[in-house]
Amino acid sequence: MRTALFLLFAALLPGQALAANQVALANDVFVERVSTDAQGKQRILLEEPKVVVPGDRLVFVLNYRNAGAQPADKFVITNPLPAAVRFADAGDSRPLVSIDGGRGWGQLDQLTVTMADGTRRAAQPDDVTHIRWAFQKPIPAGASGKLMFRGVVK
Amino acid sequence: MMKAPVGGAKHQLLPSCSAIALLAALALPMQAQAAGTRAGSTISNTASASFDTGGGSTTINSNQVDLLVDELLDVTVDSSNPADVPTTPGATGQVLTFSVTNNGNGVENFVLSTIANAGGDNYDPVVTQIYIDNGDGVFDAGTDTLYTPGANEPELDPDESVTVFVVATTPGTVVDGNRGIVSLVAAAVTGTGDPGDSFAGMGEGGGDAVVGSTGADGTDAGAFIVSAATVTLVKSAVVTNTLGTADPIPGATITYTIVATVAGSGSVSGLAITDNIPADTSYVAGSITLGGVAQSDAVDADAGDYNGTRINVALGTVAGGQTRTVTFRTTID
Repeated sequence: MRTALFLLFAALLPGQALAANQVALANDVFVERVSTDAQGKQRILLEEPKVVVPGDRLVFVLNYRNAGAQPADKFVITNPLPAAVRFADAGDSRPLVSIDGGRGWGQLDQLTVTMADGTRRAAQPDDVTHIRWAFQKPIPAGASGKLMFRGVVK
Repeated sequence: MMKAPVGGAKHQLLPSCSAIALLAALALPMQAQAAGTRAGSTISNTASASFDTGGGSTTINSNQVDLLVDELLDVTVDSSNPADVPTTPGATGQVLTFSVTNNGNGVENFVLSTIANAGGDNYDPVVTQIYIDNGDGVFDAGTDTLYTPGANEPELDPDESVTVFVVATTPGTVVDGNRGIVSLVAAAVTGTGDPGDSFAGMGEGGGDAVVGSTGADGTDAGAFIVSAATVTLVKSAVVTNTLGTADPIPGATITYTIVATVAGSGSVSGLAITDNIPADTSYVAGSITLGGVAQSDAVDADAGDYNGTRINVALGTVAGGQTRTVTFRTTID
């Protein structure tokens, strides 16, 4: 039964990295395209792009699943931001971010950047290099969830 | 097209971070410019998860998503002349300066053209050539490159600008104060259109070329202003004699006054007033004045001279709105 479920999950989540310990993390990237219909109403569509252009708004979706028999404790998901993507927001999930390549972490509004003249300024979304979600409670066996953040192609 | 399964985390987040292994960023470093990520580069995203299912900390990677960056076609044209460029009726080789900037993210060539008959002005300058600057920003037909459509469309890297000179002739029929507008148009060789239009496979790096917000063409206007001046001479004579009358009897003195009035927004250069001494009169030596100041009869540092047959006063360059007054005297023989 577990194998059957497992295969089903694999089919539902194309491209999912399958680990021997049966905790999986799938990564999908969508682009938000705004289209205007005949009535002039704007609709935001999420498409799976093969190609993008600077200025495109991307939605990164991370699906995690604990398909194993044991709870997964100290569960942390980290997404290094591609260099060509400017962080925009992560909805209301308030992830930890790094603005120095993954050395230091914190909430974006608590981080500061040292300027060339020694003064400090508040960190901006532009400064973000990594995004991380650290779960307080173990992921129970069989549980799953989704995380998302947005970015803009530089 | 599909709906993305977007949702929030099911589980509460730790207030602070626990020590875990980090993955190095897998994305290749890409130079981000004002024009955007270079066309043809790949954006790769991979996330990692670390956890402990009882056997110690384990880290797994997600799948990698690769996105190819298409070429965005964007260009802007800016007039580099801070104000209208002065010209004169019939003048040739009159130059307007423009800057063409590739705002796209790939190397692109741009077709240049001009529009001089769009209206909104008083006359149509006659565009004779377009030159591409050699980099010094100063027009010189000897060192800058003559643009020939279809032959040497300027090639610009992302964010690169080039200075373009539009050379025009001012029609001889224009008058002072007339304005003539010339627009320079730059259009991506790959194609132009509405934002979002794409040209399959024609982008740098093998992707598509997509028309950006500028429509892949740009235009800006520069203008000439005719700055001409006209000279009006008014000559008057006053006769005085020993009888105290104004009768032109022999021995009477005639004082001639010549007022030169320059009108218009321009100026005249090399203006000189020359007047022959009328027959049967004799020039009164040393009688030339300019603006009430006596001038010598010799050709010397001052403006006036007398050569035996005529007086001459060199006024040089006089701007519009100014007058010059010259007087001299003769006696009736």
